[in-house]
Amino acid sequence: MAKKSRFKFKFVITPWLAWLGLLGIILLGGLVGGILIFWKGLGITNLTDLVPWGLWITIDLSSIALAAGAFSLCAGVYLFGLKRYQPIARTATFVGLIGYTMAMLSLLLDIGRPDRFWHAVVYWNTHSLMWEVTMCVVLYLTVLVFETMPILANLEWLRKRFPKITSKMEHMHHYAPVLAIIGLGLSSLHQSSLGALYGVIKARPFWFKPEMSVLFMLSAIVGGISLTLFASMLTSRLTNKAKINDALIERVAQFVGYLLIGYFYFRAWDVLSMTYTYDPGRSEGLDLITKGPLAFNFWFVEMLLGMIVPMIILLYKPTRMNRFWRMTALFLVAVGVVAFRWDTNITGLLVVMPYIADQAIAYTSYRPSLIEALTGAAIIAYGLAAFSLGVKYLRVVDHSLVQEEHAKVKVEAVEPVTV
Amino acid sequence: MSDKRSNPTEKNINRREFLKLTAVGVAVAAGTRAVTSTKASSEAPKGRHQWAMVIDQSKCTGCNYCTLACQAHNDVNPEIQWNKVIEDGTVGDMHVFVPRPCMHCEKAPCVEVCPVKASYYREDGIVMMDYDRCIGCRYCQVACPYDARSFNWTAFTEKNPAVPQWGTPAVERRPRGVPEKCSFCYQTIDRGLALGLTPGVDPNATPACVNACPTGARLFGDLNDPESLVSKALHENPSYRLRENLGTGPRVYYLPAVPEKKEA
Repeated sequence: MAKKSRFKFKFVITPWLAWLGLLGIILLGGLVGGILIFWKGLGITNLTDLVPWGLWITIDLSSIALAAGAFSLCAGVYLFGLKRYQPIARTATFVGLIGYTMAMLSLLLDIGRPDRFWHAVVYWNTHSLMWEVTMCVVLYLTVLVFETMPILANLEWLRKRFPKITSKMEHMHHYAPVLAIIGLGLSSLHQSSLGALYGVIKARPFWFKPEMSVLFMLSAIVGGISLTLFASMLTSRLTNKAKINDALIERVAQFVGYLLIGYFYFRAWDVLSMTYTYDPGRSEGLDLITKGPLAFNFWFVEMLLGMIVPMIILLYKPTRMNRFWRMTALFLVAVGVVAFRWDTNITGLLVVMPYIADQAIAYTSYRPSLIEALTGAAIIAYGLAAFSLGVKYLRVVDHSLVQEEHAKVKVEAVEPVTV
Repeated sequence: MSDKRSNPTEKNINRREFLKLTAVGVAVAAGTRAVTSTKASSEAPKGRHQWAMVIDQSKCTGCNYCTLACQAHNDVNPEIQWNKVIEDGTVGDMHVFVPRPCMHCEKAPCVEVCPVKASYYREDGIVMMDYDRCIGCRYCQVACPYDARSFNWTAFTEKNPAVPQWGTPAVERRPRGVPEKCSFCYQTIDRGLALGLTPGVDPNATPACVNACPTGARLFGDLNDPESLVSKALHENPSYRLRENLGTGPRVYYLPAVPEKKEA
């Protein structure tokens, strides 16, 4: 009798279930949208021959950028010897894995022939930055899988069922420094190449400039670290499954504040240098972001809320020490980086360059269709769900976890082998 | 022993310096080689033929026959124009037009950016698309300075309205999810050459748009052949190319509209 009552289902809506339910609904909507896209093709999106890259490419760029905390923090911990930040790097690695899978999902939706996604790995055009980015992303995703293995080994069910596998997975931690080096190399390559991907397009003067790669790299590091810190702080407020060491976060947040100065410096000069003279196409692009439809995005979201406000909050000690303000600042940084990606992609496309000498420069417009928005939201929901589950079941945000020292590998036989 | 430490022998110095110099020399040589051999941009190979098109704007009346013939011959979706005729002001009281096919650039941005080499150069300079390899990322579309590429947002399954009035399809329709563009009617050129015909002279070896032009505004031929129609036209007339400042090296040349010629 007692056994029977244990299986009696008692349904109580906890905040946790409500959260998962909400994400589930968004995911379901995206699933329907995704099936429609694969079935009907990209004709049902608002993408055009003039604006072939839209919301999805922004989600793709942003997820990769905000995943950059993984490589930068891992490099800091395992290469520059800042070992005490290891628990943050651990969270960042998991965020990174989620970010890169999100990017893969949005790319799969975006390409016209998703059945041929593997072509990029098989047919190489080494001249193409897109090829380079694809290869790096695929390889880095592999690195991230290895890097997250010790985290995935925390799954209680897996531990009980396959203790040997989980111990092998945990052992991966010993290779963390090597993985960090590979990750640093691959990430430096593709984070900057994503900017260069735009920067080499001579046909579009708004993009055609060398600082694109620098800006993408810098903003990715700033935004990536910020998102990881924000996610850690937020979850520690919401659940007791997440435990943070606030002193660690506060130190890294200050570092983000300094990084923001660098990012702001480069971004400000990037825009200022465009004002020097009239340059067909570039000046029109500048108008779009400073006076046109993207002006709110640029001035308010990107510059003010994305850089200046968080810079002040994170560098002024009293506000930095205040957890709420620090958290807000970190969130704003991440949003600012997304705005930068959106502005950059869309501005270059909205300015339509004439190919006939005396014709005027024209503008086009783009607004994501419902199906793009639904699938885009689902990709983000997937990321949130994966992180939430990670917090609950994998202790992704747990600064009290002390990983064994990776430098001293000790291999001992558990038991003598008996035949 | 002591002199070995305080003043190294001459022989020793020489060998060391020799080794150093060699190392530096090798490094410099390798460096320069690497720099000269590594080009960030790609370039079309120079084969026996170098096909090019010359469009005489004095003769073009903007009738759009070229576009229709192209749509029929290449079985193009009526929403897509591989060859677009754009009005560009007036000279005297005559309208001027710019017909725009693919420029088949010598340094084509689309070839350079394609991640899977679905866009590539042929030996004869034609910029080709491998529709079976393309993944549909549209980077080529973003990179093309001439807006010469159109994406197949939907599948073209309807009857082609340009057929049979303007010609019969000679190539397969492109599937949904890949961009497409003018190919200089490579199929006609190849078949014509196999039959011993001369592209640009014999209609059976010449792109459909050139054949369809009622005013003879389009010329086609081999730039490597000084006697070809295009070589002669470019030798005798001033010409220009679109967005020449980008350094793409288009193979489509325009003879600007001249009022006297227009009226003639």
